Amino acid sequence: MAYVAVSGGKEAIEESIKLLDYYRSGTDKDLAIEAIENKLSLLVDRVMGEAGLYARTYAALALRQCEGSIEEAVFLLRAYRSTLTRNYYSDTVDAGEMRVVRRISAAFKDIIGGQILGATYDYTHRLIDFETGKEDPTALRQAMHKALAEQTPEEIVPCPRVSEELAKEGLIDRHSPNDQSPYDVTANILEFPTTRSARLQTMARADTGFVSGLAYSALRGFGQEHPTVGELRCGYVELYVPFLPDEKESLYIGEILITEVECFNAVDSKDQLKLAVGYGAVLGRNETKAIAMAVVDRELDNGGPYPAQNEEFVLMHGDSLEMNGFISHLKLPHYVTFQSKLDAVRKTRRADNE
Amino acid sequence: MTMEKRRLSKILARADGCDVAALSAEIQKTYSPVIVKEPGKTLAMIKMREPAQQSLFYLGEVIVCEAVVEIDGVQGVAVLMGDDAEKTLDMAIIDAAMNKGVFGGMDTLLRLEKEQDSRIMRENAMHLKTMVNFQSMDQEAPNDLSVFEKA
Repeated sequence: MAYVAVSGGKEAIEESIKLLDYYRSGTDKDLAIEAIENKLSLLVDRVMGEAGLYARTYAALALRQCEGSIEEAVFLLRAYRSTLTRNYYSDTVDAGEMRVVRRISAAFKDIIGGQILGATYDYTHRLIDFETGKEDPTALRQAMHKALAEQTPEEIVPCPRVSEELAKEGLIDRHSPNDQSPYDVTANILEFPTTRSARLQTMARADTGFVSGLAYSALRGFGQEHPTVGELRCGYVELYVPFLPDEKESLYIGEILITEVECFNAVDSKDQLKLAVGYGAVLGRNETKAIAMAVVDRELDNGGPYPAQNEEFVLMHGDSLEMNGFISHLKLPHYVTFQSKLDAVRKTRRADNE
Repeated sequence: MTMEKRRLSKILARADGCDVAALSAEIQKTYSPVIVKEPGKTLAMIKMREPAQQSLFYLGEVIVCEAVVEIDGVQGVAVLMGDDAEKTLDMAIIDAAMNKGVFGGMDTLLRLEKEQDSRIMRENAMHLKTMVNFQSMDQEAPNDLSVFEKA
């Protein structure tokens, strides 16, 4: 037995927790939850995505509680989520219907509905703007409200997906809608080989850095050839749940911001080439993760000897809570197991000396 | 006068809590709603269809608040993303009044809907200003997707 109960740390632990407050007390200024939610929204999005829970205010609250640690904030959201019942499943969301706020294609310059850059840092100078520290938030808000009020309203027209047009031309496979109930990784243990729904759900809530690193490995040579981003779209999708007294009706519960990516690879198909599609979708604005997810989805479909092509490797090692929890456990006392290692090392030293 | 649930719930969900409270207060001047299910938090799982293979998967969950009320035996239901218990309860009261056929705030609903749509369309205009207008400096690529639009 490798575990022995020890005591004596209770007071030290209590003082350690109090000391966390000391580390947050270096200023009289406070961070309003509303400010975190609105001014650090990409961070909030990342936490929500990795927690698998779209709750902006709670994500902001969690981030403030733990000094901005993503892994701690994800833990807090997951823990809170586990205290709630789940009484609803949304009607099926089709991101093709989204209210687009950004949409680009690296495959075609002219796409139906147009390339909409939206709000992006892609074309900014990556230089610290020291004036931002003196920004007047009220003036900024008022200026943006004024700019919004001065706009001439433009009808919202959903943009067809780039892949739809390629499917019409027969360049990518067309599939009939598959209504099989999705596997739910929050309620079931993953088994391998697993289902496509389990794969997508697991990657959608995986650690951004892990998925990005895997995709990077595939692009650097530990995978297939370089894929092309057929379409990256970011926007709002509406959520509806069945109206329980009359299932023919639905209730609108709100809208969420998501990022969706389809990437294309050329693959062999019966003596000719076709395009295969990799898919990524994540909560919030998190383009790198959505692209990386699409790349890895395609790698998994293809299979092969590399880590990004191994389903068990990809799906079992990217969950923020599980990976950080397991690494964290190394900090816990391992006095007995280490003692036995130490004894073994000492014995070999003694044997050598004799 | 009635309204489809999808539309009613969308207007109310997008409205400020004080506008919804005012509509609910108007109903409560005449009727005394009975709370069947106190507003409480629960989860809704987001089910999505992915376009690559047309299969379904779960993207993640959202926190919602739900409530059920009755006005003279007629039920009203509300489910709203977030944790605004008061607004959810007010929405359920409005739904009950609508189901009972005694809701008198239809003009307000239509006004709110118009304001909401206008705001979103103005926001859309801001985004459409970032649409790229490519000027090709070389021969036009033959396989651009604009050909489908012309077809």
